[in-house]
Amino acid sequence: MDKPITLREELGIAWKIAGIRLRGQMAYRTSFWLQIFGNFFTNFAEVLALFAMFYQFDTLGGWTLGEVALLHGISMIAFSLGDLLTVGMDSVAPQIRSGDFDRVLTRPLGSWMNAATSEFSLRHLGQALQGVLVLGFALTQVEIAWSIDKALLVPVMFISGIALFMALFTIEAIFSFWTVNGVEAINAFTYGGSDLAQFPMHIFGRSLRFIFFWIVPVGFITYYPALYLLEKPDPLGMPDWFVLLGPVITTIFCAVVSWGWNQGIRHYRSTGS
Amino acid sequence: MPIIDVHRLEKTFPIKKHRTGAMGSIASLIRGDNGGEFTAVNNVSFKIERGEMVGYIGPNGAGKSTTIKMLTGILVPTSGEATIAGLVPWEKRKQLAQKIGVVFGQRTQLWWDLALIESLELLRHLYRVPEERFRENLATATDLLGLGEFLHTPVRQLSLGQRMRGDLAAALLHDPEILYLDEPTIGLDIVAKEAIREFLITLNRDRQTTVLLTTHDLDDIERLCPRIIVIDHGEVMYDGQLASLKSRWGGRRQLIIDYAGDPDAAIASMGNGDMAVTEVDGPRVTIAFDRDEISAPDVLTRASAFGEIRDMSIQEPEIEDVIRRMYDGSIPAGM
Repeated sequence: MDKPITLREELGIAWKIAGIRLRGQMAYRTSFWLQIFGNFFTNFAEVLALFAMFYQFDTLGGWTLGEVALLHGISMIAFSLGDLLTVGMDSVAPQIRSGDFDRVLTRPLGSWMNAATSEFSLRHLGQALQGVLVLGFALTQVEIAWSIDKALLVPVMFISGIALFMALFTIEAIFSFWTVNGVEAINAFTYGGSDLAQFPMHIFGRSLRFIFFWIVPVGFITYYPALYLLEKPDPLGMPDWFVLLGPVITTIFCAVVSWGWNQGIRHYRSTGS
Repeated sequence: MPIIDVHRLEKTFPIKKHRTGAMGSIASLIRGDNGGEFTAVNNVSFKIERGEMVGYIGPNGAGKSTTIKMLTGILVPTSGEATIAGLVPWEKRKQLAQKIGVVFGQRTQLWWDLALIESLELLRHLYRVPEERFRENLATATDLLGLGEFLHTPVRQLSLGQRMRGDLAAALLHDPEILYLDEPTIGLDIVAKEAIREFLITLNRDRQTTVLLTTHDLDDIERLCPRIIVIDHGEVMYDGQLASLKSRWGGRRQLIIDYAGDPDAAIASMGNGDMAVTEVDGPRVTIAFDRDEISAPDVLTRASAFGEIRDMSIQEPEIEDVIRRMYDGSIPAGM
């Protein structure tokens, strides 16, 4: 086959690989469910903290429990699905250290796709499930006047959110091309970003807001869509069209990360022998 | 047109100055490494025709693996050119992957947690091998490599020899034009080594697969590779027929003679340039001789003057010795 592989074919292959690996994991059914439930409960603390907070206060920065729960739900779903789709990125650093990353580069798949599919696990579905429950709860608490533009916003919001977290998890892997000791500091942006995105951004200070809008743009994937859905005025005073910035900034962010990944691949040194 | 064409390939690595801690790592990222450079591959050129089986040999750290990694597209060279099956590996890595098979003896490309057959299924999807072709290739590999008995065993439970056979089958599922083998027989017992060599010979004969093989096992070379390329310190030291390397530089055969009793002590000074006694051990005498200068029967005739000969044997020069001498610098490099 001489034709270069198309993205569509790559996705098809990734899907089949995931299927085969999943079947392998399903052979250990008990362990499979335990992982999912384990993941569900380890993330339960976040939800408890939310309810504990609203046990004390009625609103947070002018937002009710249901409204903040909406942010939580969106962020948790985007974060966990982004994590799920890039599980393989966690193994890039150890693979580089052991030299097994060579393997990723001898296969006829894009290096990113190949690295992302080198591991697969559904345990993050536990957190995603929790996100769905929290989102469901939020929707019983808030009134959303549904319209076509709002309905269209929902898939755009989730897709850019998932893509953004996938890019963030990729950044962690990119650093490992240069330094064999993973730079844990990146976690502050990944995990910190998902935590911040669960709250109305205007309650944070100016510098934190700057970072999480303009450098790691998590603010755009939960906060502005939520404002739009709830038809709340923006205390930060930004215009309405800011809601559209999410997908735009995410696209730019992903393009930069993709460039960085390719630099990393070019820089890859392999190990002796 | 040669299927592998390498021209003045060079790869240097920066030497890392060690900085510790997170801040050190970040400093390295920003300022780069300033510990100088190390040239792993230096001005390497060679051409390999379709269907050749070539041994790429050299001591540890000579630059063998680094070269192979550039030829597969894993590493980007510092300078130089290479065309593999018409493609520049580091530019068309994905397309090239479809045309080459790679076996690293020390690593597997199989998935530890899956049965061998499942790993092969996965690779079938990865390489987009049509179902029918997959069945044929799997049947051939199962037949020649005896995969049948462990096809359904998880890879982590396979013995090294079984795993290596599985890896070979995996590397050939997509009918690659070129097969790179990096230490394919390392750590295997003699039976397993022989099975793999037989398989490679069959493959090369029946499918004209081009094979480039790195190894430390000189038996592999003797059995498989009519042509060798010797590399040391990143440079090609010899490129040519194994046979001519042996006759040109390893040309001295050894005649081992067992006398009925201890031979005349004067034997130690027998010979004049065309042959020499290298060892006298009681009744056993070893004589090295140059086959272009003197024939074995002549050596024997002359040796018979020193006592009654009971038995004798001839040893061919060993490639190992030749190459060791080449590494030591006692043989002039180059042709």
